[in-house]
Amino acid sequence: MADEAFDAVIIGSGAGGAPVAHALVRAGKRVLVLEKGPLFHAQHTSADGLSDFKRDEEFATGAEKVLRVQGVANTGVSFYSSHVEPDLNDEPHVYRDSDGRDKATIEGYTAQVVGGGTQLYGGVSLRFAPDDFRLRTVNRDRDDLRADPNGDVAREARDWPFGYDDLEPWYCRAEELIGINGTRDGQLKPASVDNYQQPLAPNSISAHVAAGMDALGYRRYRTPLAVITEDHAPSGRTVPADRESIKTAFVNRYGDPLGWKSNTWVSLLHPVSAEPGFSLRANCSVTHLSATGPRVTAVHYRDPLGRERTVSGTVVVVACSAIESVRLLQLSAERDAAFADRINGNDLLGRYFLTHCFGGASARVPGRHDKSRTLDSDWATDACAAPEFVRANNLWAGGAIYNNTSDSALPISMARTWAANDMDTMWKGYLYDLDMRGDGFDGYLTENFGRQLSVAFMANQVPLPTNRITLHPAVRDKWNRPVANIDKGWHGHDRAVMDVLAEQCRRILAAGGDGVQVIGHGHVGNDVRRIANHVLGGARFGTDPDDSVLDPDCRAWRFDNLYVTDGSFMPTSGGANPTLTIQANAFRVGDLLTTRV
Amino acid sequence: MPVVQVARDDQYVLNHTTRFLARDTGEVSEPFHLPVVDTHWDGTSAETSYRFNDVTFVHRDDQAGEVGVVGTFGDLHTPVPLRRVRFLDEPTGLWALTVRVGKGQVHRYRFTVDGRSVLDPVNPQRLRSDNGQEWSRFFTHGCAVPISFDRWELRLLERLVTQVLPFQLAENRRFLADFYHGLSRAERDRRFPLAFLMDESVGVVNFIDKLVAREERHNLDDYKTCLLLIDGVLRARFPGREPAELGRQAFMDLYDELAANNVPGWDTGRYGEPRHFLVLLRRHAMTGAFAHPKHGGNQGAAAWAYLAERFAFDWRAAIEAPLGRNTDYRG
Ligand SMILES: Cc1cc2nc3c(=O)[nH]c(=O)nc-3n(C[C@H](O)[C@H](O)[C@H](O)COP(=O)(O)OP(=O)(O)OC[C@H]3O[C@@H](n4cnc5c(N)ncnc54)[C@H](O)[C@@H]3O)c2cc1C
Repeated sequence: MADEAFDAVIIGSGAGGAPVAHALVRAGKRVLVLEKGPLFHAQHTSADGLSDFKRDEEFATGAEKVLRVQGVANTGVSFYSSHVEPDLNDEPHVYRDSDGRDKATIEGYTAQVVGGGTQLYGGVSLRFAPDDFRLRTVNRDRDDLRADPNGDVAREARDWPFGYDDLEPWYCRAEELIGINGTRDGQLKPASVDNYQQPLAPNSISAHVAAGMDALGYRRYRTPLAVITEDHAPSGRTVPADRESIKTAFVNRYGDPLGWKSNTWVSLLHPVSAEPGFSLRANCSVTHLSATGPRVTAVHYRDPLGRERTVSGTVVVVACSAIESVRLLQLSAERDAAFADRINGNDLLGRYFLTHCFGGASARVPGRHDKSRTLDSDWATDACAAPEFVRANNLWAGGAIYNNTSDSALPISMARTWAANDMDTMWKGYLYDLDMRGDGFDGYLTENFGRQLSVAFMANQVPLPTNRITLHPAVRDKWNRPVANIDKGWHGHDRAVMDVLAEQCRRILAAGGDGVQVIGHGHVGNDVRRIANHVLGGARFGTDPDDSVLDPDCRAWRFDNLYVTDGSFMPTSGGANPTLTIQANAFRVGDLLTTRV
Repeated sequence: MPVVQVARDDQYVLNHTTRFLARDTGEVSEPFHLPVVDTHWDGTSAETSYRFNDVTFVHRDDQAGEVGVVGTFGDLHTPVPLRRVRFLDEPTGLWALTVRVGKGQVHRYRFTVDGRSVLDPVNPQRLRSDNGQEWSRFFTHGCAVPISFDRWELRLLERLVTQVLPFQLAENRRFLADFYHGLSRAERDRRFPLAFLMDESVGVVNFIDKLVAREERHNLDDYKTCLLLIDGVLRARFPGREPAELGRQAFMDLYDELAANNVPGWDTGRYGEPRHFLVLLRRHAMTGAFAHPKHGGNQGAAAWAYLAERFAFDWRAAIEAPLGRNTDYRG
């Protein structure tokens, strides 16, 4: 028997967990949210008027730490995590590198804090395109796809159990409750209601991107961003008189001390926190679930000091972000053969792990711009998500393209991401560029500070059963439990998708006006480790119990009361950043659950 | 000195400690987080709040009946009691206390547990007082009191740092001369409330002194060893001269040799890869120059002001007043 009982126990308070909690609390249910990370406040939600997030470059990527995990090939390397990422020595994720050796990585983490990844995210809140929901159907009879000699794409592509139109009302709900600014006109994604707030003026450097998109005939729109620019009634948040001061460049990888970024704590959980049905326990890690037949009967967690406790819920919702959710279910299965049979009888749990095909191009612009006055992105285009574009380029799916404005905006971040674009190679470019000193350093600043501009794409990755999360046979976390093991590679067609889209990004910059000098373009197709903070799949939903882990309601097929609502439900990763879709789906499931508890 | 206590709730204490403490295996992670040194807010004014930090002491003891703390931030002989931290209305075994402490200070402290005096078992920072007693130590934001290095080490480090930073260029020296040194003392204090001593390296050496005392303690030995080796190398090359007073060329040559991983006269038995030290120094110099001044470098935000003067960088818009001009954000 569990210590306490609730209508719903929700594990994880990020994009997939918070909307479910919000919907159930609003419907009068008794909800407990268990969150592994701390409850870091925005100023307006905190008792003492101070935020736990700071405008401080040392918070995004802090002091050096040294990997001491035994049994991996990169023991001894330096790593630099944010203040809301775990110490890798306590909880590594291990991946198999292309050289066949196991290494620990920080790439697969979002953030461990109330709000999850939405505390650190750039807030780019695009919808998926209509065809992203039916990639099996649209690719069924194709034999023209690049780099797919064995027809893997047609075999592995899956439709979602529902189409764009079914999710559309939930996109509207998410956009309304979360608080997003942007523009609709020019999008390929029809909306029945326009809930966007007015965007702020773009950073002047983005004019080059606007010019480039126009020159190519790509319709553009202001990138929808989860940052409020007007008072937001649903969450009770207000904006300052000087709205321009909302733009600070402390966006991507920074929690927002003023709560204007619409993370799920300020937008969804704090607004219901005074309701009698709402409980939140931060600093509590769920270790496993136990079940009696088809019912999960206990959620086992460690309280803030590590003591074991249990709770039960009429329903239990797992939303730990894809890698950790899969791991939690696998750890539960490891302890109980009957649980294992129910959750993984078809051997699909952990398979079809997905991230995104991503990459882009970067340029140096002739003038100088104050990039410290910006949010994460100004312009986006769906031109390369259009079915005509996809077909004409012999691709299975398209993707979104948008410019980044906050990258290299601040002086330390410009240095530590110099020739290093991911968390594991942080600092490596700048530090070993030993000629960059004295005049050389000055030249580097003169040439680059306020002059760097990049354009990125985000596209579907081909689902493969071999891309998979399992429990690592040897490496353990600080609770002495096996850590997640990531096997991930790219399909040849993924590289084709990335080649085509990186080239479009390059063309946009090349057409961006006189003096714009493209300095590079490329993608992650040669790097198995890169995840882009987008962890998806591994517990995909579908209509066939033999082909999916979850049913169309995101309930585990052979359980009565076990749901999974973070990014792991996705059977395909979509041609855009995933979070808005995770949230929309979680609102859909939350609404469903109001009738089940 | 009366101790001013600050109300920080149990949730705050749990948020800032348990992730590092709670575990079944391995050691406390990131012990440098304790005691927690954070922003102070007096509820009314950025100007008056800015002079202080909130420092939260946390001690874990399931058995204790009473826990207190004594230290140089208050009366050395009267322990200030820590309260029991609760979770779900049950004691957690954690004890905590938040006090207001001035910025720029170094203090020693010990816990008293049921009358017994103990060091903070989590915080690795230690200090020996004149009578030989060992204490735990902490320092607050913008601290300029040397902690890790001796005077000769600081001076040598200063010379090394100016090799990797832009501020030694003639043009930039002019900036410091025209801009900062040109301000009246009152104006300097108003615009750069934390500035106390402006130097060519904008406080990077002080930043390093603090970083290797806390977050990057694991790199302290690298500095100690390499500074000693560099001192030896330069003394052998320039007999009778003080290394820190050598001309610029001596340091430019040294930089090149470190970069080439080949420093004539370097004892590789004591430190195998001289380049490794240079890379470390480069990261620390870059970070120290441009990080928020609370970390001890970028004094008076001089490096940000430099970017603003030379390029386009309105850092004041985002940064808390009175350092910046943002009055919504309290730091
Ligand atoms: C720097 C950065 C930038 C990003 N930018 C964008 C962007 O611009 N647009 C976009 O769409 N996406 C972006 N993302 C990705 C986005 O954050 C994720 O897609 C999203 O947060 C995933 O939602 P989720 O519910 O799957 O997981 P999360 O939001 O990460 O939530 C999972 C939560 O579960 C908690 N948890 C994990 N294990 C346990 C356990 N055992 N017990 C209790 N709690 C647990 C975690 O601490 C976490 O809070 C970005 C991410 C990062 C890190």
